[in-house]
Amino acid sequence: MEHKEDIWGWMLAVDFFFAGMGGAMLVIGGVAGLFLDQGSASWLGNILAPLFIALGAGLLILELGRPFRAWRVFMNPKAILTVGAWCMLLAIGLGLISASFAFEIFPWSGASALRQAAAALGAVFGLVVATYPGILLGRHKARPFWSGPGMMVLFLVSSLATGCAALLLSGLIVPPETSGLQAILPGLTIGLLAFQLLLWPAYLWVKHSGTTDREARAAELWLKGDFSLGFLAGVLLAGTLLPLACLMLGGTIFQAIGALLVLVGGLFIRLLVIYSGVYRTWLPGEEKYRSRLPTGDEAFLKALKSK
Amino acid sequence: MARYAIVLDTRRCIGCHSCTVACRVNNNLPVDMIYNPVTTVGPTGIFPDVHMVHIPLLCMHCANPPCVECCPTGASQQREDGIVWVDEDKCVGCKACVMACPYGARIPNHETGIVQKCDFCMDRVLVGKEPFCVKTCHQRARIFGDLDDKTSEVYKLVNREPVTRLLPELGTEPHAFYILD
Repeated sequence: MEHKEDIWGWMLAVDFFFAGMGGAMLVIGGVAGLFLDQGSASWLGNILAPLFIALGAGLLILELGRPFRAWRVFMNPKAILTVGAWCMLLAIGLGLISASFAFEIFPWSGASALRQAAAALGAVFGLVVATYPGILLGRHKARPFWSGPGMMVLFLVSSLATGCAALLLSGLIVPPETSGLQAILPGLTIGLLAFQLLLWPAYLWVKHSGTTDREARAAELWLKGDFSLGFLAGVLLAGTLLPLACLMLGGTIFQAIGALLVLVGGLFIRLLVIYSGVYRTWLPGEEKYRSRLPTGDEAFLKALKSK
Repeated sequence: MARYAIVLDTRRCIGCHSCTVACRVNNNLPVDMIYNPVTTVGPTGIFPDVHMVHIPLLCMHCANPPCVECCPTGASQQREDGIVWVDEDKCVGCKACVMACPYGARIPNHETGIVQKCDFCMDRVLVGKEPFCVKTCHQRARIFGDLDDKTSEVYKLVNREPVTRLLPELGTEPHAFYILD
């Protein structure tokens, strides 16, 4: 039993990570395939994109209290979670169709118009999948760290960075037929990481000097409190600065290490952001009240349970 | 059509938690679920000018409930009379409403996997009775009624007393009104 307020857990954070990464892979792979000369991604990357989104969706289902009734999340089109679920489903389908064109066993593998249409639609739904977690969190008015449009930008940039890194890694494992995209991925990742390096301090500064004390207190937790170590070590150092250095150094080994570190950073960001949602705007006396509730480890509760 | 609301008179509340216990017992809630906690602010000040206030909390049955808007299954619903409730058959336990509710009024049931909340004891209200917490409050600190009925005590209190609502800046327009000391 748990008397503290129940919030979303690590599975949702990992869902956001995989879904965001997969969505961004669809966007980058799709746009490169459509507009970049010699721009196709590795077939491994093309397959992993929808599979990552499906993995995220699977974790989302496991997070539910009643996972066997998961189909019901498609039922209310006014809810942003429903929109997200539909977009994930469509992105998975379109991603798999797009990836199938790489295999000649499929009779449609030569239909380039169909391939371009699937890639374009996949990129659109992938973009929504990469962005919607930020919109979902940003609409929580009573969660001071999340509220506002900034969260959407942070999630989109992080998703694009992890998507680039995942495509880069895929290309290193299974080189693509053409090298156009693979050649620009390190530079693109560096640009996104540099932007992320500016974005996070700016976001925390805006929150810290923000419109309400609640937002300032929420930002304090990232600067000096519970999340500061994770933010400094996981997000800034391991997830942004070190991969920036590795990618700038160049070479296959450094690129692979850099890309892996980008993924670590993306995961850290989502875990910290989700857990910072526990800090709701408290009602008068509520924080003290909740701090005094039993957590389930107390001897009397164990004795009660054992009976 | 009625528009149900509750007035919580903190001048009368003595923090006995009878409402909390009555709700848990009569709604047969598991040991880790509380729909209507009573928090305490204070004591503040220096003797002899000390002050302490008890704040009974519950679902605010907002006119603009964020929990209903965010529910992907349509399980969270708002009746025409303003009562916000959960259709347990439709709930999948995604906790979107738990996160969206600014008042902490949504509680996941770890035994069933669904999310539950105070529904003003809807089954009692629909047959003309009061919610259990209101019936139990011996200090008359909880007053329940129809905000559209000009003869109701709720209407009179809301319109004559200096009532306030919690977190009004969020625009949820709660139907729980507080009279503060």
